Amino acid sequence: MSFGLSSNNAPTAEVVKQRLRPFGIFFEKSLKDLIKGIRSHNETPESLHTFLTNELVQCRKEANSSDINLKANAVLKLAYLEMYGFDMAWCNFHTLEVMSSESLQNKRVGYLAASQSFHRDPDILVLMTNLLKKDLKYAGKDDMVKVGIALNAISTIIITPSLARDIVDDLFLMLNSSHAYIRKKTIAVLLKVFLQYPEALRDNFDKFTMKLQDNDISVVSATVSAICELSKQNPWPFVPLSPLLYELLLTVDNNWIIIRLLKLFTNLSQVEPKLKYKLLPKIVELMDSTMATSVLYESVNCIVKGSMILEDDYNTANKCLQCLNKFCQSQDPNLRYISCTLFYKIGIVNSQFVSDYNDLILRLISDVDISIRSKALELLRGIVNENNLKLVVSTLLKQFVNEEVVILNNNGNGRGNGSRKEFPILIPNDYKIKMIRTIISLCSMENYRNVTDFEWLNALLIDLTIVSQDLIEARDELGKLIGLQLKSIMIKVPDVRNITISSIIKILTMYDIEFKLSTVLRDCIWSLGEYSSLIENGEVMIKILIDKSTRFNADIKAILIPSILKLLSTWCNSGNITLSEVKDVITIIIQFLNPLISNSLFEIQERSIEAVEFLNLVAQSIDELEVEQNESSTELPMLLTDVLPSFFGGNELRPIAKGTQQELQKNLTHDYLETPFLSSDDWNNLFKQYDIDEGCITESTLFDGSSDEKFSDRDTFYENDYSELSSNVEDKDNPFSNYNDDATIKNRKEEQLSNPFYLTESDDKANIQGNDIFEHQEYNSHVDELVTIVKVKNTITPSEHVAQSIESELITTSNKEQKKKHKKHKKLMKKVKVLDDEVIVQPDQSQLELESKKSRSLSPIPNLYSMKPRNNNGIFLQTKSKLGSFNFNKDEINDLNVIESEQLELDKIRQRFQEQSLEDQSTMNDGDEEVIIIKKKRDKSKKKSKTKKKSKSKDEIKQIEADPAGAIEDK
Amino acid sequence: MTQLRYLLLISRQGKVRLMKWYTPLSSKEKTKITNELTQTVLARKPKMCNIINYSDHKVVYRRYASLYFIAGITPDIGNELLTLELIHRYVETMDAYFGNVCELDIIFNFTKAYDILNEMIMCDGSLAESSKRNILQTMTAMDSMDNHDKLDRVLS
Repeated sequence: MSFGLSSNNAPTAEVVKQRLRPFGIFFEKSLKDLIKGIRSHNETPESLHTFLTNELVQCRKEANSSDINLKANAVLKLAYLEMYGFDMAWCNFHTLEVMSSESLQNKRVGYLAASQSFHRDPDILVLMTNLLKKDLKYAGKDDMVKVGIALNAISTIIITPSLARDIVDDLFLMLNSSHAYIRKKTIAVLLKVFLQYPEALRDNFDKFTMKLQDNDISVVSATVSAICELSKQNPWPFVPLSPLLYELLLTVDNNWIIIRLLKLFTNLSQVEPKLKYKLLPKIVELMDSTMATSVLYESVNCIVKGSMILEDDYNTANKCLQCLNKFCQSQDPNLRYISCTLFYKIGIVNSQFVSDYNDLILRLISDVDISIRSKALELLRGIVNENNLKLVVSTLLKQFVNEEVVILNNNGNGRGNGSRKEFPILIPNDYKIKMIRTIISLCSMENYRNVTDFEWLNALLIDLTIVSQDLIEARDELGKLIGLQLKSIMIKVPDVRNITISSIIKILTMYDIEFKLSTVLRDCIWSLGEYSSLIENGEVMIKILIDKSTRFNADIKAILIPSILKLLSTWCNSGNITLSEVKDVITIIIQFLNPLISNSLFEIQERSIEAVEFLNLVAQSIDELEVEQNESSTELPMLLTDVLPSFFGGNELRPIAKGTQQELQKNLTHDYLETPFLSSDDWNNLFKQYDIDEGCITESTLFDGSSDEKFSDRDTFYENDYSELSSNVEDKDNPFSNYNDDATIKNRKEEQLSNPFYLTESDDKANIQGNDIFEHQEYNSHVDELVTIVKVKNTITPSEHVAQSIESELITTSNKEQKKKHKKHKKLMKKVKVLDDEVIVQPDQSQLELESKKSRSLSPIPNLYSMKPRNNNGIFLQTKSKLGSFNFNKDEINDLNVIESEQLELDKIRQRFQEQSLEDQSTMNDGDEEVIIIKKKRDKSKKKSKTKKKSKSKDEIKQIEADPAGAIEDK
Repeated sequence: MTQLRYLLLISRQGKVRLMKWYTPLSSKEKTKITNELTQTVLARKPKMCNIINYSDHKVVYRRYASLYFIAGITPDIGNELLTLELIHRYVETMDAYFGNVCELDIIFNFTKAYDILNEMIMCDGSLAESSKRNILQTMTAMDSMDNHDKLDRVLS
């Protein structure tokens, strides 16, 4: 467009527009128009959306225009539209063009847009490098703003390592600029660069940290900020700076910088515990002198998070707590909230510190603000004792029911009359869930130490059951929790079992409980079965359970089957139950179980088949008895009176310390698979003692001796058993007495010689009679089948053996503990007796340590670092070589991994040692009869699946039967 | 040091007036955060504390007239009180710059609002310049340059 032309021809509209633009007159929509347009199209979201889409199309057109001013305008509008959720990444190249414009106004627009949208597109950053290099050149006074804009933009844009490498030299040059403004901005950019390209920091560390002594306070402030950020990633290089920083802390009076220094010291003292001794007095002094709350807060924060409070440092802790206490009393909810958080952290160090503040905490759990309450809940563990537990819990329970309101006094501060407004406090569900969890953990903590009244606890659990039903999002978990509590009270507090079982029944009969809180039922039903002796009319209970069972989940059904059997067993043997009654109940149970046999879940299938088979036998024997006696007879078949109780009637269950089961499993070795149940000597003894005629074995006799508990008096047991057998056999004439197949016998003999299960010939002679051979052969086929089963079952035994060996090993220690327990018990005796967890195996010490560490440490980094030998005194010791392609962040992760893997290796070695010693121990016991005798002890204390017990003992007997058979056949 | 993850200005109607992200997030995440926070913050009653736990971090908000200033901070590093202070300082600075600032000022001069923010807060979301005077100085310097620039353009 030239002047000459326009004088001849009338200028076109486009030309006029272009000429007017520099005066700020646009015919295209300006940003102002856009905003006004948005405001006028505000009525419906639809109209706004159509308006915005139209605008966007317009902007796209304008951005493509060749006029740089127009382009800048479009980019500006797009930057605004981005806030409405429109992506503007597509115009990155246009933005770049605007950025490179000569005019500062446009440049500003370009850089703004770039800092808003560029971090998604690393490609564009490559193109940006040259532009940045140019813009960063400072030439003349006016350039300061330009450089400032560029620096601003870089600091917001994510810098790639290559970009960082390209501009880092320019930046360090600028660090020496005479303008404080540029130095300050440069430091901000350098921080970003260091994070991406740590070599730069390594090479120019002194140049950078020199800025801590800059004469401009804002530069110092920026440097402290930057170091604070960097030290968060990797504190080591900055530890040597601490004297300088300490000096700064003493001299500086700007609160902003003080707070940042405190933050920085928090980071540093996490890796350098020595700092504490120097810092702590100064910080305490600062707390006394400062007026600013945020400085006060930061001081406490620094003390707490920099792990400067030791477990026994009551002075410092009290100082901090007093300060926090003041905060908590304040009207400002923010102060209350943050001090709650810190309270908690102090409480973690030692809960004793917090225990004096129970009034305060009690007040906080009814604060108007739910988030403060929620924080205060975490504190409760520190303050509950037997005196205030009920109070605390009832305060919490009320919050489930009561509707609370906040009263807001609007004192008419210039806006109308003073009015009183009421806002209801809405209690969100996640807070309710947290309350329930807290209540349960408060009650059960330290083995129910704080609970004096278990009736109350029972009522409480019922209340919680009701409340949890409405909390849909977590009711599975809560149900499980409550169920577990019920079960554990049931087991641990024998004195209140009556009450507990009635509350269990109450819960079980709640309307729709199986839908609303099904997870609670599992443990309830288990408890019902296990403590069925407390229920008088077991048959009613059975009927109720069966009635409800159709709506139960599969896992509850699996528990239900053994529970029903237990109930049946207790009820039948409670006396004065007639045959017909029993028969009715059994028919009901069988009816209930029959469809379950074809259940898709294996667990249910197996349990129900076992139960049905057994009950069918019982039903048969009842029928037989009925023929002999009349219906109202109370004489029940042996299967019910003796066999059924023996499935379950082991020793009473007792609580076992956490982790015992895992410990046992860990020590499981497979050597035991080959250990015979009885050694050959045992067999010899047996057969010498009982000169028996082999005979057939009835089902009942087989079952008769199958209870595990009788193993200790093994000898007498066998005596009975075999004498019974022999009496059976005596009057039997074996039709196959002439059976004699020499070839088979020979074969078998050879086999038997190599088989340790068989007896040697000489020993057998006396016992064997020719006419038994057929029987034995028949059994042998059984044996083959059985062997496979037996082997599988055997895998269980090793753990038992190990358990025993460990137990004997630990007898001394557990004795000590027993004494301790006794002491504790004495204290408890005035209340209700609560059983303690029994320790069978000492849990792995190293693991315990780790666990406790995990639970204690707030920030895992300091612990790991302090464990590491410190051989790095220089600045970039461990990183010098590694730094190459990693940033600080990554280095840190690597270090952690190394330390962790070291720790793991150490643990592994320890474990191996332990296993070795255990193995030695167990091989000593190997094959001894002692091993089996001890088994009884184990049974006492270990809960075991009933079905396993049953089938296993059955197998054992069969094996016992089978083996002599083979041996006898020898002849 | 207070580390902001983002700063949002949201009107009482739930409109975004300004947003500044100091951590790289996808636009989907940004929208999610904006929407969820708008809901929770607008639902908060007076007398409640200004700190909320939101997903993995904390959010500090403060209301000025019809505008909510919402700042996401890193939980362990951020000082909540300081963040509130920071928000206040930002508002003060804008107030001084615009002269009794109101929502409309921010809407129409959002670039200026961004500029002030950029002067105050460093790339990683920590405070760079706490002095109101310094910020204003730079701002006026920039503005005068800007006008100068405009004039240059007209003259050329």
